[in-house]
Amino acid sequence: MSGHHISSAKFLWGVAIALFILTFITVAVTWIHIPSPWNVVVAIAIAVVKALIVSAFFMNLYWDSKFNVLLFVMSVAFFLLMIGITLLDTLYRTDPIPSF
Amino acid sequence: MATNDSTTNVKRLQVRRYKPEENPETHYLNQEKGLWAWLTTVDHKKIGLMYLGSIAFFFFIGGVLALLLRTELLTPARSFMDADVYNQVFTLHGAIMIFFFLIPAGPAVLGNFILPLQLGAKDVAFPRLNLASFYIYVIGALFTLFAIVTGGVDTGWTFYTPYSATTGGNVMAMTLGIFILGFSSILTGLNFIVTIHKMRAPGITWNKLPLNMWGLYATSIIQILATPVLAITLLLLTMERALGIGIFDPALGGDPVLYQHFFWFYSHPAVYIMIVPGFGIISEVISTFSRKIIFGYWAIALSSLAIAFIGFLVWGHHMFTAGQSSLANMVFSFLTFLVGIPTGIKIFNWLATMYRGSIDMKTPMVYAMVFLFLFTIGGFTGIMLGALSVDIHLHDTYYVVAHFHYVMMGGMVMAFLAGLHYWWPKMFGKMYSEFWAKVSLALLFVGFNMTFLPQFVMGSQGMPRRYFNYIDQFQSFHQFSTIGAYIMGVAFLLMAGYMLHSLLRGKPASSNPWGSRALEWQTASPPDLHNFHHTPVVINGPYDYHKPMSEFQLGIATSHNGHHAGEAVDVSKTEKEQA
Amino acid sequence: MSQTSSTEEKLDHLKHYFVDSDQQFEASKMGMWVFLVTEILFFGGLFVAYIVYRSWYPELYLLASEELDTFWGAVNTAVLIGSSLTVAMAIRSAQLNQIKGLIINLWITIGLACTFMVIKYFEYSEKFAKGILPGSAYSYDGVEHEKANIFFSIYYMMTGLHGIHVLIGIGLMIWLVFKAKKKVFHSGYYTPVEITGLYWHLVDVIWIFLFPLLYLID
Ligand code: HEM
Ligand SMILES: [Cu+2]
Repeated sequence: MSGHHISSAKFLWGVAIALFILTFITVAVTWIHIPSPWNVVVAIAIAVVKALIVSAFFMNLYWDSKFNVLLFVMSVAFFLLMIGITLLDTLYRTDPIPSF
Repeated sequence: MATNDSTTNVKRLQVRRYKPEENPETHYLNQEKGLWAWLTTVDHKKIGLMYLGSIAFFFFIGGVLALLLRTELLTPARSFMDADVYNQVFTLHGAIMIFFFLIPAGPAVLGNFILPLQLGAKDVAFPRLNLASFYIYVIGALFTLFAIVTGGVDTGWTFYTPYSATTGGNVMAMTLGIFILGFSSILTGLNFIVTIHKMRAPGITWNKLPLNMWGLYATSIIQILATPVLAITLLLLTMERALGIGIFDPALGGDPVLYQHFFWFYSHPAVYIMIVPGFGIISEVISTFSRKIIFGYWAIALSSLAIAFIGFLVWGHHMFTAGQSSLANMVFSFLTFLVGIPTGIKIFNWLATMYRGSIDMKTPMVYAMVFLFLFTIGGFTGIMLGALSVDIHLHDTYYVVAHFHYVMMGGMVMAFLAGLHYWWPKMFGKMYSEFWAKVSLALLFVGFNMTFLPQFVMGSQGMPRRYFNYIDQFQSFHQFSTIGAYIMGVAFLLMAGYMLHSLLRGKPASSNPWGSRALEWQTASPPDLHNFHHTPVVINGPYDYHKPMSEFQLGIATSHNGHHAGEAVDVSKTEKEQA
Repeated sequence: MSQTSSTEEKLDHLKHYFVDSDQQFEASKMGMWVFLVTEILFFGGLFVAYIVYRSWYPELYLLASEELDTFWGAVNTAVLIGSSLTVAMAIRSAQLNQIKGLIINLWITIGLACTFMVIKYFEYSEKFAKGILPGSAYSYDGVEHEKANIFFSIYYMMTGLHGIHVLIGIGLMIWLVFKAKKKVFHSGYYTPVEITGLYWHLVDVIWIFLFPLLYLID
């Protein structure tokens, strides 16, 4: 059973430092003004990497049972589904907000 | 001695047969005494019964409201209610029936009672959360009652903005009540998922899981994925009223159609929260009373999951006329048709199970057949509504009203009643009168069709829903419908009568009156507080009617119930799935 | 109730309906993960509102996020990441039977969480003073866009709900400290610490997305 993974203190510090660095990078890239939409892409990409690091190594998903990983993936997938399908409407309306 | 065969990962257990005790002196209903013991119980069976009492109460209220609505509709003009009152009454009827009755009916009532029994577990994984979920339900209910006495709500159960953001009455108390209720539903789903994963008795592998468990499993997944979105929707709506945040209110620059996306992202899956537990019940009942192994076990099990999944892709079919983009309309219309496939698979597998079975027309079985008939009509009309061009005509007419009553009442209520009659002997250790049950069922069937069949006709002729008056042309339809509703009212009163009689004077039930092979029948009726005195061990599928009953009553032979690893376990024919 | 076991293991925590400690631990952890799923979808709704409006009015987001102070947002991000580290250390201490370390790490986490809330408090009050209030009370005219109120409604809903989660986390951790002082936790039983940790990390993950989405629009 993989439920009781114990990380070393050094490892946990390493993870946190990686996260600090990524935080710094995500702020720093706004100084160089990447043209839209790439600025959004970069910001989200960094956030996703950070979230993956937290979930894998702080939340121990890396060592956890597959079902718990599946739960996490599923929640994100259903969120994407919700936004994806909603955008099919909101992006393709003739009138963004129908007037009443 | 301890043989943990590491090469095959099979743990050998010594088993013996445990015949269920008949008519036990002590059982879960009398092991703890007093009102306080009931109110603080963490026993899943008692919590199930407390839920049963609560939803029966709400069903009664909702039913009375429905009869008031139908009475008002006897005449084309005002009969005895004003338009405003009528609006409040149908809102309450809808909200109560959906949120307080039908959503808990499957998981929280029958699921709570049966799930640990069918898994051979002593309780759900988190009994205290289970009790908490009941009280959260009660608090949600109190909020709603508060909303009713302080001004009422006239938005319809869908709370569409902008109307819900501006109308009078106490919409906030109502939406907060339903917000709170959502947590109760989430906790039940959470508990069930973990229980099914972690608490199965030795030998219950995924392919020996009763189909009722698969149904509840799929339901729980919908509950945890969809209900949080309802929570945020209602919270935003509450904030809309409290602070005017404007996200959904066009007067403040917001988009009301976005509200509908949010709402239906929950509420279409929610119709499957209501119906999928019914699929589980029907599978159990049909197999038991056909005395036959279920046809297409995996087809039924996986189609429940498929329905749960596809159910998340179709919400926009409620918004065809709401002003969403035509691209979204087409996609949603197409996806809606897909739901029909897994649903059809189920119907055919149930029919195939009955084919050449030795069918025993006991009350639960008749209910199951009524379900098959009515639900199929409801499903087909749903597909018709999913067709874009047809729905433009039929949207917001009585056709839609008839559709969802065929699925919700003709489908889930019938399935619920099938389950209630099926497990009644297990719950209370008493039989009910087969004769009166069938009389009531016949009345219900006739009354139901009289009420809702004319509504299809009216709807397709253009009778809009949610009006307290109508043009003369529809009067005979409406009157017919109202008479049907009264007949249903009588049927339910009759049901309350014979059930009460059964509780007080009913003949004692044996542990397994239907001769089922499923695990919940292999313990006493009513069961012990801890469900089984032993740890059950399962070696056959739950529908293996060709195998002798003795093989379904096995349990671990050692006295300490196999608790704690490292105990001496001896050789036997049983294999335990590796944890 | 559970039988006395022949080994030296402490089993006071074991509920009678579980077969063993591992089953109980795994069940609780899975339960927490299921709960986190609901949290993700709960916040997911707000992110949907955010994305839909951003796709309609990109220029609104550009203008309005000027009002948010990137510096303090970044500080708060660092504070939360630090607190994630200390919770992880707290769990580690519990796993190693170091109850003192557990309590210290929990206190540091609580301290960092409070820091986060204090910074949030100053951010909010600075905005309130300017008239950037949630909902129809919005009265600021520094953002040249007719839907500015909507951006800030979304901002307040997202950060407000996140803040409530932080407060709940603080409450949970204070409760853990009390339990730890009563010597409830040890290497064989630290489930509440583990699952509170999971919750806390999720609160961090949500902020990891809120920060670039709200503060870093340039
Ligand atoms: C084969 C499966 C189904 C399909 C294709 C389907 C399709 C539809 C469609 C297209 C509508 C929208 C009609 C309109 O407003 O114009 C609708 C309404 C509705 N359906 Fe179904 N449905 C199905 C099954 C169910 C089930 C199983 C339930 C409940 C247990 C259900 C409950 C409802 C309700 C409550 C409404 C009306 C909501 C309202 O506007 O108040 N449906 N259905
Ligand atoms: Cu639907």
